[in-house]
Amino acid sequence: MLLQLLSYVAFMVFLVVVLAKVVKYARMPLHLRWELYPIPHEKGREYGGSYFEELDWWKKPVEKSLIGEIKFMIPEILFVRGVYHDNRKLWYASFPFHFGIYLVIGWLALLFVGALVNIAGLPSVNPITTFIQSLAVIFGAVGFVVGSIGCLGLLMLRTFDRNLRHFAAPKDYFNLLFILAIFLTGLLSWTSSDPSFEVSRDYMKSLIAFSPMTGASPSLTAHIALLSLFIMYLPFTQMTHFVAKYFTWHTVRWDDERNMRGSAIEARVGKVLNYKQNWSAPHIKSGDSWATIATEEVE
Amino acid sequence: MKRQTIRLKDISKSSEQMVELNPADFMRLPYPYDTVDSEPAFKQLTEEQKKKYEVSVDGVVALSLPRPETKAEEDELVRKFLSGLGKLLTKENNWTFLQPLSLTLEYCAKCQTCNDACPIYTGSGKQEIYRPTYRSEILRMIYNKYLKRGGKALAKFTGNDIDLNWTTVARLAELAYRCTLCRRCAQTCPMGVDNGLVTHELRKLFSQEMGIAPIELHSSGSMKHLKDGSSTGLIPVALKDTVEFLEDDIKDRTGLDIKFPMDKEGADILLIHNAGEFLAWPENPMAFAIIFEAAGLNWTLSSQSIGYDAVNYGLWYDDVQLARVALKHAQIAKELGVKKIVIGECGHAHKAISVIADRVITGELNIPRESCMTLLEDIVLNGKLNLDPKRNDFPVTLHDPCNLVRLMGVVKPQRNILNKICPQFREMEPHGVKNYCCGGGSGFAIMPSMNFPDWRSSVSGRMKFKQILDAFQDVIDPNIRKMVCAPCSNCKGGIREILSYYDAWEKTGIAYTGLVEFIVNAMVDIGEPYIEWPDEM
Repeated sequence: MLLQLLSYVAFMVFLVVVLAKVVKYARMPLHLRWELYPIPHEKGREYGGSYFEELDWWKKPVEKSLIGEIKFMIPEILFVRGVYHDNRKLWYASFPFHFGIYLVIGWLALLFVGALVNIAGLPSVNPITTFIQSLAVIFGAVGFVVGSIGCLGLLMLRTFDRNLRHFAAPKDYFNLLFILAIFLTGLLSWTSSDPSFEVSRDYMKSLIAFSPMTGASPSLTAHIALLSLFIMYLPFTQMTHFVAKYFTWHTVRWDDERNMRGSAIEARVGKVLNYKQNWSAPHIKSGDSWATIATEEVE
Repeated sequence: MKRQTIRLKDISKSSEQMVELNPADFMRLPYPYDTVDSEPAFKQLTEEQKKKYEVSVDGVVALSLPRPETKAEEDELVRKFLSGLGKLLTKENNWTFLQPLSLTLEYCAKCQTCNDACPIYTGSGKQEIYRPTYRSEILRMIYNKYLKRGGKALAKFTGNDIDLNWTTVARLAELAYRCTLCRRCAQTCPMGVDNGLVTHELRKLFSQEMGIAPIELHSSGSMKHLKDGSSTGLIPVALKDTVEFLEDDIKDRTGLDIKFPMDKEGADILLIHNAGEFLAWPENPMAFAIIFEAAGLNWTLSSQSIGYDAVNYGLWYDDVQLARVALKHAQIAKELGVKKIVIGECGHAHKAISVIADRVITGELNIPRESCMTLLEDIVLNGKLNLDPKRNDFPVTLHDPCNLVRLMGVVKPQRNILNKICPQFREMEPHGVKNYCCGGGSGFAIMPSMNFPDWRSSVSGRMKFKQILDAFQDVIDPNIRKMVCAPCSNCKGGIREILSYYDAWEKTGIAYTGLVEFIVNAMVDIGEPYIEWPDEM
């Protein structure tokens, strides 16, 4: 049960800390606009235009294209498109690394579904069960291989590319080696002891059913332990950029929300202008609110 | 000679100079500047200047930062720096950028994707200290080590083992003025991190906490603007005289009797120019007046202090100054009872009042702000003027001001106008939201301190000069006159300095002007050509 306990704790820590991060960023006050074009929800302005190109723009309706955003986000998330365009050398490692992680997440999800189906009483030899398990094998096996390749590639780049090496810290190598160990133990357990991932699924089942589990090979045990520890460690690192990227894009780069009279934005502006600042430079009276210092006559 | 490798930690180590700039290392320019000897000599600082000011980054001075005289002074400045950094991360002191800054400090993956997007890093021949990630990473290291819980204990493992001393602080202060805030780096960041914002926030820290800012931006810039009416020193009485002079000049050049409407209450439009135009390029406000009158617009200028100068230098270094100027502009528009404010050809003024200050201006002060580009596009494309493109039949290229284009999304109107009235219009590459800065952005165009202008023209403006030369390579013969359209006062200033530094008019026949000048030049009702070439002045 020690292994299961580790997995439960890891999952809980992950959830709580990631959620805390989301709340932290979501609760930050309204900031000044700092958008960067192109903004993909600007309908028909893929070249980078904005509503400011319209004469009397404030009299025109707001037209936002959700499809435009989705068309940007899917290739960015799945294929790391930005890196493909702007840093091809890095992309050759970054893409397999990220895609490997996505496949492993998919593998875990399929094991979870397979375990649920199993708990629900469907027999082991059944088209649905077989399909889910076969898919899990593809996701897991390909994920471990592709992820390992990407991970090794990133390690090589961090070590041998002088642009990256001069900025690399011990923790960067530690993180990559940690992830590589997860991929490799997963690969080892698949090839040596769990070719159909049925033992892995049984472990998932034991987690769902709070039941004991036996029969995990040393490689699978190592894989589960490492994965659990990583899930626990991840929220404390900058690898939570999957959270950050929502905010950097949606609430900074693409935030072109207009401040119209009587709008919700205007109410939020009113609130932040009442914050009392304590900057120390001679031209700012420390202790006054932003509204006061912005409207006082300078001497 | 092999260049010395500069590491992050080197910023804290005392040395005469971190890097020695050598024009032979800089990015190569196209013909006729494709040889090292075509590079003008880079002005060196005098021994006296070196003794007096902090020059240990690259031997260039933007800030004129005096060296502290005692260790106690140094320690106090370091303490203030750290206190300011802490304030940048509180909502009360920095609600204005807390979220973008926090994300930027936490999530850089150090992948270096942004470096090649930076015209200063690439233009300099890839000087390590000019990487967008260099100064940003230093700030992250200081933040992680000195302000985060457990930062010092984990500093070696997390790669934040940096010494915060006066040398570090002084060099960061100078490095904050080796970036034009063009934000090309941010555009390429796969995390959405914004290393340009780090420059902006560093400048704010120095200004708002330590009272350190380039004299041209602060005491002779935004403070002068707020106290005297304009950062140019143009006081309201002098403005009236200047406007009368411009009216006479219009009469002499075009035969038109035009009176600039001043302080006209209830006008549809309050037009605010960068006041530098009145003094350095009077043909620009004159052209606006000619066009607006010919199009029958109901418009006015303000003669009230601050109301006739659209600049807002706070955008580059100080949020308090930004808010003060923006609110004054809005207040003046409200008192005049105008329907909208139209911003003249000034990129940073566009962004300051339209985008950034959108979250400072509320209630009755929230008067719509519009770019002159859209208004001019409406006038030109909808036949409100009688225009003959043949009058502009010479090669023309367009510079995209970063603030107007990448940072505000006004991309098409100006090119629609040029396409209509300039038969030989050609784009620079890249252009639009992928443009390169003129090299004078974020205040650089108005900073003439010591050898900074040489650095500006040969390093920060280098990529722009290359783009201009590339755009005109097929007509590079100096006998073929050609023009860069730069619809922004600061960009015009930056480009003017580059062209002058490289004797570009003499060697290539390239000149520059704003956008409205092309429109008036194409007006069939104006007898003489309106655009003046350098050899006709």
